[in-house]
Amino acid sequence: MEHQPLTHPVDAAPVRANRGVSPTTRAWFFLTPSMLFLGVLIAASLLVLRMSVGTKGAEWTGFSLASYAQLLEPYYLKSLLLTLRLALISAVIAVVLAIPVAYTMSRLTSPFVRRIFLAAVLLPLLVNLLLQSYGWLVILGPGGMLNQALMGLGLIKRPIMLLYNQNGVLMGLVQTAFPLAVLPIASAMRGVARTYEEAAATLGASRFQVFRQVVLPMSFPGIITGATLVFAYNASSFVVPLLLGGRRVPMLAVMVHDQIAPLMNWPAASAAGVVLIVTTLAIMTLSEYITGRRRRMLEASQ
Amino acid sequence: MSSVIKKRYSLLPGETGKFAGILSGFILLLAVLPILTMIVMSFSGSSNLDFPPSSYSLQWYKAAWHTFVSPDASDVLSLGKAMTTSLMVSCLTMVFATIIAVPAAYALTRCEFRGKAVALQLMSLPLVFPMVVLGLALLLVFDSLPFQMTTSRLVIAHVILALPFVVKNCTAAMLSIGSEVEEAAQMLGASPTRAIIDVVVPLMKSGILAGMLLAFIVSFNEFTVTYFLYTIDVMTVPIWMYSRTVSSLDPTVFSFAVLIVLIDFVLIWALEKLVGEGGVSF
Repeated sequence: MEHQPLTHPVDAAPVRANRGVSPTTRAWFFLTPSMLFLGVLIAASLLVLRMSVGTKGAEWTGFSLASYAQLLEPYYLKSLLLTLRLALISAVIAVVLAIPVAYTMSRLTSPFVRRIFLAAVLLPLLVNLLLQSYGWLVILGPGGMLNQALMGLGLIKRPIMLLYNQNGVLMGLVQTAFPLAVLPIASAMRGVARTYEEAAATLGASRFQVFRQVVLPMSFPGIITGATLVFAYNASSFVVPLLLGGRRVPMLAVMVHDQIAPLMNWPAASAAGVVLIVTTLAIMTLSEYITGRRRRMLEASQ
Repeated sequence: MSSVIKKRYSLLPGETGKFAGILSGFILLLAVLPILTMIVMSFSGSSNLDFPPSSYSLQWYKAAWHTFVSPDASDVLSLGKAMTTSLMVSCLTMVFATIIAVPAAYALTRCEFRGKAVALQLMSLPLVFPMVVLGLALLLVFDSLPFQMTTSRLVIAHVILALPFVVKNCTAAMLSIGSEVEEAAQMLGASPTRAIIDVVVPLMKSGILAGMLLAFIVSFNEFTVTYFLYTIDVMTVPIWMYSRTVSSLDPTVFSFAVLIVLIDFVLIWALEKLVGEGGVSF
């Protein structure tokens, strides 16, 4: 009986030998299958980069920066600015709308209400964007819900044009990207312990003051993350401008597709794609920098 | 302490008031308004898109059923075939994404290794990568291959898109287990691999299932990347619907859409039940 514990480490020895493989090797072995798929993504992006400096007709052998120079033409430049502007405005609106929803969600106690809330948040994110755009067509159309409501309120006399212009596209962008703002903000607000709110209330702060001066600043990293996600998602939005903008709101992603489908101009499409990737990476890096600094400040102050 | 506060306030600090509740409810209603509108429209009795419909009937459902059982010759591809493709692609995506995500999640939670930060960044890359560029890039890759891929290229694209969701959910599930159960299993003589397969994986079952459901939903609803990669014979349901409405909006589409939303809703509801309190990880 007393020998039992002694024999065990001997038994375990081959196990340890097995673990003798460096942890880095072991971890990367586990990561290999997923890295194969992500490798396809990386390789594909590099191909896009190569293609973007190719020339039409000799995509793989030629070299020219003509496609990038083409992007500086007024038409493309306008499209780029339009894309950035719509993405920025939609990010601001989505975050402003998301803050009360996220706060309520982070403080819900009833499991059933929480599930309803979460389902309502997840549906716009997960349900096919095409279907949601069909819903928007009905809402924004000349005889649609919004025009009737506005006429009913006496704000307008005749139906106004909401479809196939920037207003309609903007509404669609805000609605479809809204969950991406709510989820990080809600999780940041859940992380703000109630004791802080209680402490502030004990010190005499009103409910609004508690929210404005305690909860909001403490969930700032979540707010930045949410805004970044919405911006990045909408900067490359394709379905919403395609369906709600018709051909009149040429956002960059629609241009990428147009360069391929009717024009077969692979280098031009690739160059526009590279601009999209660079924009996304730049905004992500900036956000990482801001939230990282802010988080360190919060940690230091605690 | 808290009882003192309770006496002074009707609401404890940290509880949201009625105003915030109503405001958030209203905002959420706006967020799902397009989906609700579509559901109402599918019961419309008139043939235009005015809202609210002047009368209600099931005519579009009948028409939709008719399209399903006896497809027009004018359709490039029948709905039944598109549905089969969609389900096949979604199921394959679900299976592959899960099989590759579980070991990845294990490595990301249990191992300290060189390049972990890079691996974590790479894992969330598909979430922020512009979808149009992904579609374009994959089209470039698949078109330069010497052999034809049709369904499989959709699966590869969807696995890449679904991977971050599955990995996040599996990682969250694995973090909640703690490494002591695994160590206990190994002390009792299980090999590391056996400890993972027989102890860790069953314990994180709900996280894995949640990831699988999300992968299915993501794949089933994917439009943008598929739009670059589909071929005439291999279409998913969203592409089929788009090809039907590209010239004019046909209300039968609304009844198909309601069916899809219903499937999505059931899956999301099941997902929330599985994941429970912690919420879905993104």
